[in-house]
Amino acid sequence: MARVDVIMPQMGESIAEGTILRWLKKVGDRVAKDETLLEISTDKVDSEIPSPASGVLLSIEVPEQKTVPVQTVIAIIETEGAGGVAARGGESAAPDVTGVSAGVGGGVAGGGRGVLEAGVEPAGAGAGAGVLGAGGPSGGRFYSPLVLTIAKEEGVGLSELEQIPGSGEGGRVTKKDLLAYVERRRAASGGVKVSVAGPSPGARPGAGAVAGAGTPVDDPALRKKYPSPAYEVLQMSPVVQRMAQHMVLSVQTSPHVAAVHEVDMTAVVKHRGEHAAEFERREGFKLTYTSYIAGAVVKAIKKYPLVNSSVEGERIIQKNFINLGLAVASESGLIVPVIKHAEEKSLVGLARAVNDLAVRTRARKLTPDDIQGGTFTITNFGVFGTMIGVPIINQPQVAILGTGAITRRPVVTEDDAIAIRSIAYFTLSFDHRIIDGALGGMFLEEIVQNLERFDSGTKL
Amino acid sequence: MAATTYIEAIGRGMREEMERDSSVFLMGEDIGAYGGAFKATRGFLEKFGPARVIDTPLSETAILGAAVGAALVGMRPIVEMQFADFVSCGFNQLVTNAATMHYRWHLPVPMVVRLPSGGYIHGGPFHSVNPEGWFFHVPGLKIVAPSTTEDACGLMKGAVRDNNPVLYLESKYLYRRVKGDVSGEVVEIGKGMVRRPGDDMVIITYGSTVQQSLDAADRLAREEGVETRVVDLRTLKPLDTGLILDAVRATGRVLIVHEDNLTGGIGGEVAALIAEGAFTYLDAPVRRLAALDTPVPFSPPLEEFVLPSQDKIFHALQELRRY
Amino acid sequence: MDGPSLSRPASGGLTSKDRLDLYYYLRLTRECDEAILRLYRQGKSVGGAYTGSGNEATAVGSAYALEAHDYLLPMHRDLGAHLVKGQTLRNIFLQQLGRAASLTGGRDGTGHYADPALKIYGNVSHLGAMIPVAVGIALASSLRDERAVVMTYIGDGGSNMGDFHEGLNMAAVMKLPLLLIIENNQYAYSTPVAKQSAAARFSDRASGYGIPGLTIDGTDVIAVYDACKEAVDRARGGGGPTLIESVTMRLHGHSASDDASYVPKELMDRWKQKDPLPGFERALLAERILDEEGRRALEEKIRREIAEAVRGAEASPSPEGPEAAEGVFAP
Repeated sequence: MARVDVIMPQMGESIAEGTILRWLKKVGDRVAKDETLLEISTDKVDSEIPSPASGVLLSIEVPEQKTVPVQTVIAIIETEGAGGVAARGGESAAPDVTGVSAGVGGGVAGGGRGVLEAGVEPAGAGAGAGVLGAGGPSGGRFYSPLVLTIAKEEGVGLSELEQIPGSGEGGRVTKKDLLAYVERRRAASGGVKVSVAGPSPGARPGAGAVAGAGTPVDDPALRKKYPSPAYEVLQMSPVVQRMAQHMVLSVQTSPHVAAVHEVDMTAVVKHRGEHAAEFERREGFKLTYTSYIAGAVVKAIKKYPLVNSSVEGERIIQKNFINLGLAVASESGLIVPVIKHAEEKSLVGLARAVNDLAVRTRARKLTPDDIQGGTFTITNFGVFGTMIGVPIINQPQVAILGTGAITRRPVVTEDDAIAIRSIAYFTLSFDHRIIDGALGGMFLEEIVQNLERFDSGTKL
Repeated sequence: MAATTYIEAIGRGMREEMERDSSVFLMGEDIGAYGGAFKATRGFLEKFGPARVIDTPLSETAILGAAVGAALVGMRPIVEMQFADFVSCGFNQLVTNAATMHYRWHLPVPMVVRLPSGGYIHGGPFHSVNPEGWFFHVPGLKIVAPSTTEDACGLMKGAVRDNNPVLYLESKYLYRRVKGDVSGEVVEIGKGMVRRPGDDMVIITYGSTVQQSLDAADRLAREEGVETRVVDLRTLKPLDTGLILDAVRATGRVLIVHEDNLTGGIGGEVAALIAEGAFTYLDAPVRRLAALDTPVPFSPPLEEFVLPSQDKIFHALQELRRY
Repeated sequence: MDGPSLSRPASGGLTSKDRLDLYYYLRLTRECDEAILRLYRQGKSVGGAYTGSGNEATAVGSAYALEAHDYLLPMHRDLGAHLVKGQTLRNIFLQQLGRAASLTGGRDGTGHYADPALKIYGNVSHLGAMIPVAVGIALASSLRDERAVVMTYIGDGGSNMGDFHEGLNMAAVMKLPLLLIIENNQYAYSTPVAKQSAAARFSDRASGYGIPGLTIDGTDVIAVYDACKEAVDRARGGGGPTLIESVTMRLHGHSASDDASYVPKELMDRWKQKDPLPGFERALLAERILDEEGRRALEEKIRREIAEAVRGAEASPSPEGPEAAEGVFAP
């Protein structure tokens, strides 16, 4: 007989902790390998966690509603028979140094170093020099002597420091911010396969439309300042907290510039109209505009690869592959599943990949792999009716495309006639550290042209 | 038993030292028959007699110089400057003679100079001075500044027993406003004290601003959940550098508060010590809150504008927290 | 209870032996001053050199009236008083040369030392600043019933400092055992006395404080002794302070770097005529208290003593340096 640890997995890069939502088994129950053992929540996804082994649930180490760091042992299973994996259960890939799953697609530059660890400098090197200048005009932040001291002691490199959201004056990273980050960063990479099934129970009540924005919380000091019933004091859920942190971080890191182009989707609409029924019959799912847009983006990236990169200090890491993220709103907040190696896919392939991700997202069966390693992101706010939006870049990427609603609009044609077309506004938000207005505009226009001049003879 | 006031505690310190050691005697203007301008020595003449409670002519130079002479040959005088403001009349005796004699002659000069100091009493420019800045940087003088009844008594005893010239700063504002217990224990010169625990920020202060700082810290804790340590220096010279740096290492955010004027005040020295000794522990620049660089004005709204207050300290704390 | 034993002869009661003694000290003072000047001009001494040449009668005569348990707070031209009180030549030269073995460990120079065993508390550069200190010592003496007298000096210039007035006033009103001697040598550095005070005589100030004051011939060592002895006795007996103005001279400049060219030649010539040393010597020879052989022998003795002291001081090591950081506070 052997003991197998069940650990809190890492559900994506930069995830450092998870919350136990519900134990589906109790101590003493038999469990089968891969049988769902519990449900967890992290800021990226809620997931069901399958049992890493068959046996009896010997102990539950972490109760429901408790949040623990990734890699914490949350339960122990006693297996029958010999040869159970003695230590960490699950098929974790070769552990990476930090938060990046080893499952990131084959050609990741730099091997297993995730975005947070990349560029870790020897303690103190350039800490002084880098403080004011690093990251360009809005990226350079001031770090107090204490923060640098702690960073040095904890082995937090300068580029890593730059990623940490700051609550101090002007967004400064304070001692408190840094210590909180260090706490969260106690993680090697996960790589445990998880499957997700069904909606999360105990969806947070109230708090409006944003999924899990907050639950009422008891805070006497704030209550005094903001008394009921005029005010409600809510606790931000982990998902929202992470979103907040990521968004703040992104805005602090990248000087955002947005370009909006109008795109005439009529050709695409026509093509889709002609092929949709046949496609659905054959593939078993609907062909969406997303696939066309994805294809146009992939093509445009090949021409302007700089928008498909990331920044490290003074270096630009340009990727020769395209992991296309498609932002999706879910019950547990914004998720960005990624199509790996989109550059290799045809329109059909993209359509299949898009659908596959959509299905698994809805079914809450996304793997950590599915949500890591993106190099470019498309976000579709058109579904909400938004005409023009200005999205926030998904770090560590340097650009994001936001697509607005397609509406039928009268336009003036070449020969000065009025025609009804399907028009949408696309917004490219890009990082002006490395992408200027010219490049941004040209890249976006390339996408537009790819769509407007879509070859009606394209076979699916 | 009724609580002792700050000024009574000073008196108790003097009285018990005089009872203990016959070489201790008092000199000053109006201290004998009149009991002192603030009544700090009421009853002393009756108890100890005119040989030990001496009413002097109006002559700060003579008073201070005579104290030096008497101390040189083995007595332990406690002299009173009627207001700290008048010590400048006898400045030379302190800085030329009292301060240098041990260094030059290896002879101790065990004298205490009582200095009723500070404002908040509508006294105007010449009855509100805080004189510590004038003497702080002169090698050879010690300076103490009690803020509680316990320390008023204890530091007086410590000062009398010290074999060096000790300037004893009494806050006039605290004379009858601070009441408390007095154990009669000697307080060692050179040791500060943490008056309020806390690890989020620290106020370093002394004298009249200690209570203001405690109030501001409590208010901040109530309103923002932040705990501010309050360090009462108690002795200004020599400073308790160890206590100061410990507090900085524990908290990383420092506010120095004193009633004395900002520029050239002791806060600058403390800030420099912190920069030298705890630079890598600082999460924010060291901040000082002190009186404006003006004489202390007479009319109450003017005086209020110039001097520190609990409210001003509170807002400085908030700013510091937000950095 | 009886006070300490008193050995000084009464005013007017100096014996021949006393007078030879006085002569010895006069000459010793003069020779010592000259030796200090020599060291200065040889570049061997540290800092300035202040001589009391011409003031010997005042310095020696006054200090001669003190008992061992009395206190002396001399000024910078009162080397003779140091010597009469018992200071060694060696210590004088060690102080001058700033050596480690000096009474201040090299921390202060010239007469700025204290020797509690001899009850000598030296001057500071701020003229008059030691007067209130002298008053404090006199106060302690009075409080402790020591029957000790405090003798201190001030120049015609220094007597205009506030310390002079505050100190004397306090000593007067408290009836303390103080003797304050104004050494009026007509010049404060380059400033003649007429520019220092409008008063005809400095001793007139005494009545302003309600105490006795007198002006004497500071070049007559006997006269100085008699006046001081009387004042000392008065103080010791509880009669309070006396102010004595001793009219004397300054044969050299303020310090060794001052050639006193501002002193009118006629005045300087007159002074040289009244030089206390040759005058006293002539008187002693005339009265056969001293003969030529004795004079030469004394001269020789003094030269040997001084040479030995200078040699010893020159050979004594200077301080190292680091000890300067210590000793600000008494333990």
